Amino acid sequence: MYCSVLSATVSGMEMIPVQVEADVSDGMPQFTMVGYVSAQVKEAQDRVRTALKNMGISLPPKRITINLSPADVRKEGSRFDLPIAAGVLMTLGRIPPRSLRKTMVLGELGLDGHVQEISGVFPAAAKARELGCTTLLVPAGNAAEGGLVGGLHVVGIQNLQELLNYCCEGKMPSLPSIENQKKEDGKEPDFSEVQGQTAARRAALIAAAGFHNLLMLGPPGSGKSMIARRIPTIMPPMSEEEQMEVTRIYSIAGMLAKGEGVRRERPFRAPHHTMTPQALAGGGKQPSPGEITLAHRGVLFLDELPEMTRTTIEILRQPLEEHRIVISRVSGNYVFPASFLMVAAMNPCPCGFYPDLSRCTCAPGDISRYLSRVSQPFLDRMDLCVQVEALSYEDLHGEERCESSARMREKATAAAEIQAARYRQESIHFNSELKAGQIEKYCILEKAAEELLEDAFRRLRLSARSYHGIIRTARTIADLDGAVKIGVPHISEAICFRSADKSIWRI
Amino acid sequence: MAMEIFTVGRGQEGYPERLMPFADMPSRLFVRGALPADEQKTAAIVGARICTAYGKSQAAFFAQVLAANGVAVISGLACGIDAAAHEGALRGKGKTFAVLGCGVDICYPKQNYPLMRRMLENGGGVLSEFPPGAEPLPWHFPIRNRVISALADVVLVIEAKEKSGSLITADYALEQGKTVFALPGRTTDATSRGCNRLIAQGAEIAISPETILEELGVKKAGTKRAAPRPRYGKEAEMVLKTLAAEPQNLAQLAGSTGIPLQELTGILLALEIDGVIAENPPGVYMALS
Repeated sequence: MYCSVLSATVSGMEMIPVQVEADVSDGMPQFTMVGYVSAQVKEAQDRVRTALKNMGISLPPKRITINLSPADVRKEGSRFDLPIAAGVLMTLGRIPPRSLRKTMVLGELGLDGHVQEISGVFPAAAKARELGCTTLLVPAGNAAEGGLVGGLHVVGIQNLQELLNYCCEGKMPSLPSIENQKKEDGKEPDFSEVQGQTAARRAALIAAAGFHNLLMLGPPGSGKSMIARRIPTIMPPMSEEEQMEVTRIYSIAGMLAKGEGVRRERPFRAPHHTMTPQALAGGGKQPSPGEITLAHRGVLFLDELPEMTRTTIEILRQPLEEHRIVISRVSGNYVFPASFLMVAAMNPCPCGFYPDLSRCTCAPGDISRYLSRVSQPFLDRMDLCVQVEALSYEDLHGEERCESSARMREKATAAAEIQAARYRQESIHFNSELKAGQIEKYCILEKAAEELLEDAFRRLRLSARSYHGIIRTARTIADLDGAVKIGVPHISEAICFRSADKSIWRI
Repeated sequence: MAMEIFTVGRGQEGYPERLMPFADMPSRLFVRGALPADEQKTAAIVGARICTAYGKSQAAFFAQVLAANGVAVISGLACGIDAAAHEGALRGKGKTFAVLGCGVDICYPKQNYPLMRRMLENGGGVLSEFPPGAEPLPWHFPIRNRVISALADVVLVIEAKEKSGSLITADYALEQGKTVFALPGRTTDATSRGCNRLIAQGAEIAISPETILEELGVKKAGTKRAAPRPRYGKEAEMVLKTLAAEPQNLAQLAGSTGIPLQELTGILLALEIDGVIAENPPGVYMALS
């Protein structure tokens, strides 16, 4: 007898519906799986057979064939265990053939028949609704995630017995209350813990308000990482649409905490500088999201920038412009979203103390070699550049509490709202995304500001690229001020925080 | 810049007269461009490669005044003080010469290539005792220093750490009976310790370029005084005063002057556009003298 159960597989950021077909026929007793399945999927047969046996259902000595269709799409992962088991049970007549109509089934099995959480439930649920399904049958731990998509009846099960109960008697499994594993371990990081650092703090606020990329230069131990870690806490909160985008990515990457529904906080990713280009961009035979995609709508923090290999750094160029990355493989092109705020940190020289000559022990060649590992095109994409100083004892011991994240976030949010209102006709959200043509339209300079910019352009030998960067940053500073036109103080602040140019970079 | 390389042997015509009294001078010199004329006064300006902005600006200033008064400036074409000295001499419309630690067909470090070209175009030259093609090996540099000091009538050390190649040049100069000048600096600055030690040991103090011109017996041409810099507002003057003491970055300045950051950026930009202060490295401001 032939039966089929609907499931789905991940392909890049998309879900492809997969029909799991099961057939029991006469012949040599064996369990065959076909349909371009990976080794992970093939292992399902042992899990399914053993799980069924441990439930007291032994497979008849017949030939069982499983086909995953469409057969030309590669299938990976362990999410097919449950649909395979359901298909087998159906062919054996243990569950009614019509009980899983308009239902998408996903889940991994343990040998004792319990059902394990899997990744990619959220996009699968969206796909199920799109296909006109009414029910989603997933592991209990994924039920919250599946419930994010409205108009779908989500059934979370803990073991195969519950599947039988549900299919045969229509008995809804009781959902155990799953502790939200997102632990509230003490306090979230907060900007009030950062002492001193007036300039870096201001630069962080501008970066957060306008989504500008930020480069921090400073000696070791000056608090660059500490500041970067706190930038997501001052960024304007994500819109519902953005939350869904991020949740989708984290669902596919299998990185949603157990029982977590929507991801509400902006992501913060700080990959180590030894990572491979594929880890940053996303990759694999069936590409999976890389760090830049995991940082979508949040912060990608690259510490020790010059220690990263050149190829790894240069990968960032295209995503920084296009806010997405296209990964090409034999099996096709995969598009991953990658709209992130990049925060990079580096020491000014290999030992970290230049320009403090009484402590710096580097030879001039060492310093220029170190700095030359970061290319000019990359530097051009950093709108803001700030020196982070080593803290003095007074700074550390100061009684004065600095501005909290909440206060800073208020300011950034106000600026973000102004931007959203201004760009409602455009496809952009933030000042940092302004194209050259849009700059003329939206960034109106006061007369004096224009003159100042002209003077500075000549005198400081700015490049055309940095010119646009300065205006974009000045726009954000003006928005933080609530000013309609960009004035002199906005331009001068933007110039002071401008990105480093290789020519003055050299020692 | 197809400039021929030629050699002059010791005793041949064209071999610098100044090198003749000393036994340990190279038996031949490889030259590109010209050699300093025997009748022209010469001054060597040497110092650290990693130096402060102050050191660089002083090296350029001394070189400029000396060159404007007809003194040829000799140095080693290294980065830092050496490059600043050559640069200053060119600004003073004078001739400037470099003694290299490699073949004269090689420019080391490469970033000074444009500078070397301008030196050659302006009647200066590069010379070396090492044949064309010789690599810039570490041991070449200390020994070429004896040629620098021998070619110069006076030697000025701008900035040197306690263990510095510039001090080797000063030692050679003393052995060769030349006057050594040193630019004084703060005792706490690592880059000034070598100079201050030289002064303690009896070197002349380079208070101004005039002291060196006097030593050389050159009468200073009546130069027009540089226009006094414009006066700024109270806060800008405070910033300038703070930066004159020590280069600082934005946050340090905000702390030491008490001016709010947003106001400070405006002041800094205005000063930078006027050329009174500069950034080096980016984000660190220093006052230009």
